[in-house]
Amino acid sequence: MRIRWRLAAALVAGATLLAAAGCGDDSGGGSGDGPVELRFSWWGNNDRAETTKKVIAAFEAKNPGIKVTGDFADFNAYFDKLATEVASGRGPDVITLGGAYPREYGGRGALLDLSRVSGELKTDKIDAAALGNGKFEDKQFGVPTGVNTPVIIADPVVFEKAGVPLPDDATWTWDDFVRIATDVAKKSPKGTYGVADPTKSDTLDVYSRQRGEGLYTPDGKLGISKQTLVEWWTLTTKLRDAGASPPAATTAELATQPSPEQSLIGRGLAGMQVDWSNQIGALRKASGHPLKLLRYPGESSAQQKGMWLQASQVYTINAKSKHPKEAAKLVDFLVNTEDAGKLILTDRGIPANGDVLKAILPALNEDQKAQAEFIEAATPTMGQPLVIGPEGSTDTPNILTRLNDEVLFNRKTPAEAADEFAKQVEAAIK
Amino acid sequence: MSERSLKIKGTRREDRAAYVFLLPWFIGMAVFTIGPILASLYLSFTDYTLLSPPEWIGLENFQRMLDDTRLHKSLVVTFEYVFVSVPLQLGLALALAMLLNRGVRGLAFYRSVYYLPSLLAGSVSIAILWRQIFGSEGLINQLLDLVGLQGTSWIANPDFALGTLVALNAWTFGAPMVIFLAGLRQIPTSYYEAASVDGAGPVSQFFRITLPLLTPIIFFNVVLQMIDAFQNFTQAFVVSGGLGGPVDSTLVYTLYLYDRGFGSFEMGYASALAWVLLVIIAVLTGVNFLFAKKWVFYGD
Repeated sequence: MRIRWRLAAALVAGATLLAAAGCGDDSGGGSGDGPVELRFSWWGNNDRAETTKKVIAAFEAKNPGIKVTGDFADFNAYFDKLATEVASGRGPDVITLGGAYPREYGGRGALLDLSRVSGELKTDKIDAAALGNGKFEDKQFGVPTGVNTPVIIADPVVFEKAGVPLPDDATWTWDDFVRIATDVAKKSPKGTYGVADPTKSDTLDVYSRQRGEGLYTPDGKLGISKQTLVEWWTLTTKLRDAGASPPAATTAELATQPSPEQSLIGRGLAGMQVDWSNQIGALRKASGHPLKLLRYPGESSAQQKGMWLQASQVYTINAKSKHPKEAAKLVDFLVNTEDAGKLILTDRGIPANGDVLKAILPALNEDQKAQAEFIEAATPTMGQPLVIGPEGSTDTPNILTRLNDEVLFNRKTPAEAADEFAKQVEAAIK
Repeated sequence: MSERSLKIKGTRREDRAAYVFLLPWFIGMAVFTIGPILASLYLSFTDYTLLSPPEWIGLENFQRMLDDTRLHKSLVVTFEYVFVSVPLQLGLALALAMLLNRGVRGLAFYRSVYYLPSLLAGSVSIAILWRQIFGSEGLINQLLDLVGLQGTSWIANPDFALGTLVALNAWTFGAPMVIFLAGLRQIPTSYYEAASVDGAGPVSQFFRITLPLLTPIIFFNVVLQMIDAFQNFTQAFVVSGGLGGPVDSTLVYTLYLYDRGFGSFEMGYASALAWVLLVIIAVLTGVNFLFAKKWVFYGD
């Protein structure tokens, strides 16, 4: 009996220790003869995941010694999960980032300086402006997945049903924007709006750049003036009061559901929506309508052009990756090969590698061609490259959402919200 | 060997077996609970951005709390939530327990049915369901539409959003109800019979027999549910889309803590917040026990 108990104790203890140890580190793999295992993470919907899985399969077929696991979530959840994983030292090997995130992570030493893997990852064919979005402190931390621009997306079906002509985006002003949105809403059935509330940090960038400012200054401070913010919120509350944009509660609800399928325009319930040019495919699919890309209002009359071209997303490599060379090979495959380009097409922006773009042009469908043509036509009129936000600035979109809700629910005046915005953003980027 | 020593041996052997079976739990406790708790105590005195190593800054995190207006807002929200939802939940639980205690046929079935939400409500799926029910195109608004009323998005309206969370918590009355039911069954029926003979009606029976004899159970439930309510996270996170909005109206304490730690990479500050929450809960529980002497009646 006693022996059996001892055995049981040993078994239980052993199993427990194994389980505990199992939580420690299982990402090793591949140091010996087995295949190298890489983890690659991105955000997006199921369509993007399907495409990416095909790309991974193509990469594995060409690189028999490497096995890649994909990992994805929707935009909001993605960054929460990523922060936890990277902090615990078990982050993915290849990480998709965007906006101010490369700086947030790179500035804290979490990303690999890509010059160390320049043998595996070539960047000479990548558009220089887009490449600049992955570079700071003189180090290249990321490679752009493609090129993107902030746009107004319009639904011709909603416009037609309302009997309102589509705006001429070469000349329209912000006043036209308000008038047209109001007109569309008035002539549409209840529940269909002229425009979804346009307050986003990217929109504020466009709007303030048109006034010679910008959301951030090149030396990493807040750039937008209170005056500009007040005028912006005066404009959006005017839209809300006219019924051109939805009531505050609907806007607040939309802010918690970021996927294209749940947006107003994705459901055919809005004439216009501010977004990124690469979203057109997903939004067209969601709404089933032939959506159009428009330049922002005010571009022709502004002091300075507000729109810009930027890397839609960047691929980065985890500084703690055990297989930086293999990870670099994967990134190189993603951005520099026709094989990957033909699968990804324009889902992550118009390819920043000119050769890849040329190769995929014939394969593009109508949505993707619209995107490529729009960017090609708009490129000559683009403004200065965007000033990317400093460390801490990834909090800005959430600060903006909160204050925007306060304004739309009439809990703060535009002036109060503008003061509060400056205070909170300055605290976040201190 | 005498019978006595055999018995002792048997007990020892059983003790040992018990420890062996407890071992996984002890190890889990040490590795996954006590370890992280101690780590968070250390981190609460540091500036820790998750991606670079922590830096010791003494009491700075705690000083910062004094001027943190969002923290103050989240405290107001949390207290509102706890002090509305717990009494509501316990009231419902007691009412249902009394009803079931009247000898309903199929008691076991009802007990299980009402207990079910307590098992499910902490889950993400129920919180998502809640979004669907109280959303702008949700069940509630469809019902209102039938009678010609126009609803709002309840989860995205700062006047109602916290209310939907209170309702969700109240809906989980099953767990305290089962405990109440057990308590009710312990009250000897002879008390009620004697009271009836003396001419006491159901109301005075409730206030003079049921309630006093149930106070230990009420106290137990209050303590348990209050601690639980202070730590509500999943529901607020999912229903508000992780933002605690609109206008921070559902920003319960743990959600703000999460926002600081994982949204803004302020893990040191978040750890300090966690310890302050621990102190708040400990103090309130202490106060509960202190006042218990005044109203809890232990029959013997």
